[in-house]
Amino acid sequence: MSNIIEKVADCLVRAGSTFREDQKEAYRQAIADEANAQSCWVMQQVLDNALVAEERRSPLCDDTGIPHLFLEVGKNRSVSGEMMQEIMEGVEMGLRQLPGRPMAIMGDDNARIDQSGGLNPDSGALKPSPFLIKPIDEDVIRLTVLMLGGGPAIRGITQRVFHKHNVDVVIDEIVNRATEGVSKLGCSPCVLAVGVGRSQFEATSMMMEAMAKGDFSKQTEFEKKITKKVNEANIGPLGLGGKHSVLATFAKVGPQRASGVRIVALRPCCCFEPRRASVEL
Amino acid sequence: MIELTTPFSEEAIAQLKVGDVVTITGNIFTGRDAVLPKIVKAAEEGALKDLGIDLQGAVIFHTAVSPAGVGPTSSNKVEIECTFGPLSKHGVKMHLGKGAISKETVKVLAEHNAVFAIIPPVTALLGSQTMEQEIVAFPELGMEAFNRLKVVKYQAIIAAAQGQSIYE
Repeated sequence: MSNIIEKVADCLVRAGSTFREDQKEAYRQAIADEANAQSCWVMQQVLDNALVAEERRSPLCDDTGIPHLFLEVGKNRSVSGEMMQEIMEGVEMGLRQLPGRPMAIMGDDNARIDQSGGLNPDSGALKPSPFLIKPIDEDVIRLTVLMLGGGPAIRGITQRVFHKHNVDVVIDEIVNRATEGVSKLGCSPCVLAVGVGRSQFEATSMMMEAMAKGDFSKQTEFEKKITKKVNEANIGPLGLGGKHSVLATFAKVGPQRASGVRIVALRPCCCFEPRRASVEL
Repeated sequence: MIELTTPFSEEAIAQLKVGDVVTITGNIFTGRDAVLPKIVKAAEEGALKDLGIDLQGAVIFHTAVSPAGVGPTSSNKVEIECTFGPLSKHGVKMHLGKGAISKETVKVLAEHNAVFAIIPPVTALLGSQTMEQEIVAFPELGMEAFNRLKVVKYQAIIAAAQGQSIYE
């Protein structure tokens, strides 16, 4: 079997079962800083769950998510069709190993929309989203696998903001949208993933990159401001109150259009997200 | 932390207050929007015994049971929340899931001395605390069938009891 297939499979299992160290530390700090006992209890349960999942290499959540693939390619490296095929096979193998929740809907276009074609019982039958590929200066080919759950997808929103030549106008609109999304998200505390671009596609791509690269311990002023303002709503983990509705914001601002409009993609990630892991191929 | 063992007695449930953190040990049932209306129908028709189901003092955990494990779905989905009343009438003492339920449902629970508890979506932890699982009824629904789990010390927080809600 190809080395790439096995590497990708392992990467997917890590993405679905492991908190990164900065993620664990964010929970520890929030628990230490939270006065609301019920919120502390929720966050401690989430952290304990992560430790058990890592030890057992088992899913963090029963909604194991849809695999999303972010591929970074160094300028002296090349990606072949064969390599992309092997990555897909690695995803399939990883989904069976995790195991992923069987979520592949069968049938033609209509049957897949109304779910009348039935469910494929094979975890590995779940297809990943299209590749997102980015050139980088490093001399590597690096794949990041992200596992995106359904709850945040319901509450996510991609829409324009008229900036009025003031960044605070954009921040305030992100905060308004995020506060509503977080209050309806069943599984918080959350991480806000934000992308700002010139089109819906670009903004969403920026948001994906933010999820792939974001670090709880390295927050920009833009990110800190959003987190602070949303937390003022006192929603709290699972909606039980407290000052940690949001643990961090991961934002990526791309090139912008010479106009009065910015397109903002926003995803209120659940308490386990961004579930991600990376591997060099 | 209050330790509860199934089946729950009327007295044990009557003492619970909103905000109490409890542990649940023993046999519990699982079901969500696909199967719970069928359980209600069976209860109304007096057919639960034929299915091998006894709801007296029972817990219903709103989850699917898949190879990935278990985890709460939103209990305020119409097909789930509308079963709180009828299932409580037939003996269920705890509905276990997540999300805010309506004032009407909170009131109905109180009328039957039943409670709603929230359980965090901690699938790995719950997997380590689940000793057995078996399909009890409606196996054709696959991971949404009516299951019985034998669990040890699942932690949950009481979100609705005695006419009060944690979300008020």
